[in-house]
Amino acid sequence: MSTAAYFIGLGAASAAALLGAVLPARRRLLAAAVLSAAACLAALVGAGDVLVSGHAFSVHTAQVLPLTGVDLSLDPLGALFVAATAVVGLAVSCYSVGYGVHATPSRIATATLPAFLATLLLVPAAASVATFMVAWELMALTSLLALLTDHRRRRETRDAAQWYAAMTHIGAAAILLGLVLLAAHAGGQSFAAIAAHRRQLSLPLTSVVFVLTLFGFASKAGAVPLHVWLPRAHPEAPSPVSALMSGAMVNLGVYGILRVGEDLLGGGEMWWWLVVAALGVVSAVFGALHAAASTDTKRLLAYSTVDNVGLVLIGVGAAGALAAGGQQALAGLVLLAALFHLVNHALFKGCLFLGAGALQHAAGTRDLDRLGGLARKMPATAIFFGAGALSISALPGLNGFASEWLLFEGLLQGFASRSAVTVAALLAGVATLAITGGLTATAFVKALGVGFLGQPRSEGAGAAREVGPSMLIGMGFLAGGCVVLGIVPGVVLPVIDRATTAGLVAGASRAIRPGLGLALASVHSEIDPGLLVGGLLVALVVAWGAVRLAPRSAELRSPRRAAAWGCGRDLQTARMEITATSFAEPLQRVFADVLRPDHDLEVTHTAESRYFPEAITFHQRVDDAVERVVYRPVMAAVAWWGHLARRVPNGSVHRYLAFGFATLVLVLVVLA
Amino acid sequence: MRFGAAIDVAELAAGIVLAGAVLALWRKDLRALTSVLSLQGAALATVAAVLAVRDGDVGLGVVAGVVLVAKGLVIPYLLARVVRADPGSRETSPLVNVPASLFTAAVLVVVSYLVAGRLTALFPDPLTRLAPLGLATVLVGFFVLVTRRKAISQIVGLLLVDNGVALVAFLLTAGVPLLVELGASLDVLLVVVVLQVLATTMQARFGHVDLDQLRELHD
Repeated sequence: MSTAAYFIGLGAASAAALLGAVLPARRRLLAAAVLSAAACLAALVGAGDVLVSGHAFSVHTAQVLPLTGVDLSLDPLGALFVAATAVVGLAVSCYSVGYGVHATPSRIATATLPAFLATLLLVPAAASVATFMVAWELMALTSLLALLTDHRRRRETRDAAQWYAAMTHIGAAAILLGLVLLAAHAGGQSFAAIAAHRRQLSLPLTSVVFVLTLFGFASKAGAVPLHVWLPRAHPEAPSPVSALMSGAMVNLGVYGILRVGEDLLGGGEMWWWLVVAALGVVSAVFGALHAAASTDTKRLLAYSTVDNVGLVLIGVGAAGALAAGGQQALAGLVLLAALFHLVNHALFKGCLFLGAGALQHAAGTRDLDRLGGLARKMPATAIFFGAGALSISALPGLNGFASEWLLFEGLLQGFASRSAVTVAALLAGVATLAITGGLTATAFVKALGVGFLGQPRSEGAGAAREVGPSMLIGMGFLAGGCVVLGIVPGVVLPVIDRATTAGLVAGASRAIRPGLGLALASVHSEIDPGLLVGGLLVALVVAWGAVRLAPRSAELRSPRRAAAWGCGRDLQTARMEITATSFAEPLQRVFADVLRPDHDLEVTHTAESRYFPEAITFHQRVDDAVERVVYRPVMAAVAWWGHLARRVPNGSVHRYLAFGFATLVLVLVVLA
Repeated sequence: MRFGAAIDVAELAAGIVLAGAVLALWRKDLRALTSVLSLQGAALATVAAVLAVRDGDVGLGVVAGVVLVAKGLVIPYLLARVVRADPGSRETSPLVNVPASLFTAAVLVVVSYLVAGRLTALFPDPLTRLAPLGLATVLVGFFVLVTRRKAISQIVGLLLVDNGVALVAFLLTAGVPLLVELGASLDVLLVVVVLQVLATTMQARFGHVDLDQLRELHD
């Protein structure tokens, strides 16, 4: 059943892409959306069946790809990623109807979204090197096309697409190199053959393969310092596409690391995983800091993706290191926590990106400094965005809390480990979790408070109206998922645990005890978010009632009129309220060494006197320090080399002939 | 030995092929080049004929005839027509002057003897020993392509390369099949026709046939 459902899903997504390309403008949006929603449902059923039953399926066909054929196989690890993609895809498909209503997207834009979705569903099922690389490159290609939707109107989109194309290409080249190397030495290109032969592989070889593929997958996952495409591409892509990119595509980078490192290479050395954890630590802190400093909603969300991928990588790295150190049970728990967080991230980040898209749709801007007061105008969007923001800030009762608690718990358990390096890594992980928790909360207090509360700061924000029902359903679906997984995380944990067992080959044990809450099997530690939330609610009701019922003094009950001296509060304008930039300012000051904000203050004076300024303009940019320090010099060097090389072909036919002639003579002389 | 004289003739003819290539470097008069090509075509046909007689191969005899007609008569005639369209045309300023070109040709001949030494060692035979001459013709023809400016010189260079290839093929292989040689000859004929049209059009459009001036089409 799982096989049929999964392939129906793939087929429906492809059909959606086809219909999106050929149907007339009025029909194509709806047709593509309905078909891709059906595709997601089918894929969800297929993947869910694999996850619940634990039985993988595999299919081989020699027809599609020449020489190698196509190998598809869905094991619980892959099924988890398919399921996460399908859930986000379902919401996105629904949302895309409303998103495209006002300005009907072009044929290509309508077709690329389902095509992108299809490739996202395909990658986790690829079971040979050739199939995997084809699926991976298809995913890169379709996502690039989807990202380019607005390329006619916006120069930044073209810029972002170039960055994305370059990074994904470099990454794919590294992955290809690594996997081909692996296939050549393992005596077969199917994943099953490689996994069967991994004992014969030498350690230096597997290390090279791991480092190469880690580079490629980390660039897709958006780990620092390979994250530079993310804060450019996510804001510039249409919101459904950024939700898919951030909620589903980024996950596949983590999937690749797990698939190659744990499944194909069997865990390998401890230092591999310490490198992964280190990447995670750097990404988490860097991403959280930039998210706290960003004033563009989608840029903020993109950096927050870097942050969350960092947390997941900390978990994956710690799990790998613990497994390499022989602590299988704990490794299982930590990996479970990491994968749970990954699923949760897909839910809340998908919800937040869709919400940011709704804001942009309604207010015409992504700039938090120009939003404000939207909670009254768009109450439903505010609630859904708020649910996502609270989840990502890991507040109890929402799914972010559940997975971060689990991750904390797992990392803290590992302190009893014998290996000092592992303990140091776990310590770094815990510290990172703590600091990013605070920074993330700051970032989302800013996004919620400045974006939705107070008064509108621009005409666009003032004229904003609630978005259509399909967009709300899309957001609400994901927000509901956040709440459900937050209150009863126990329902999905056994399912994810199955993926963990598949991911961690060396005999992972059951890390959790069944139940609705979070209960660990290895140590006595449990928490029931449902009870927690229930208790909090009861406490709130009691407090509210107590305040209402308490006897009040006569002075308080007497009417109060506004004073003549209003302390400025009589005339509250939007210009008096705190902006996103000012909210982030103290933090920016503290972390000035990392963020390196560029200030630009320009004062023009009146003609009569230098003592009276006529206008003061203030610009601030927070550029990516990694981009400035690492990428700019490399790009400058490449550009210089390119300039140099341009002098060689000057258009003279004789010069070109001379190259050929010289090469011929040279080859002959060498041969002689 | 009855066949000795024929081999001498073949050696002479192969020498003429290379000498023709060097002559093409030397002479600036484009009309003279067509006669050089004609001579070279005839010499090539002679080599093929000698081989045909030695091996008693009728097919190779026909090939010799085809070579004589195509490379000795038709192609030089077509070229001569192009040259007549622009009377008094000379390769006035080659990129490398004539003495330096001749010196380079000498170096190329040495190189080809060095390179072909390993090929001829495979099957030592009086005719196989001549293979370096063909290789040298290829290299000199290529050198003509690189250093000469006029479109007609380019055609000549291409034909020299082709003749050199044909000579090597005759000497090193056990007889070139008729079909292959026919195909190759027709190809070359077609190239010459195309280039003839191109050169004539260039002459009419730009008033010259100097390839270096085409550089402005770059970018």
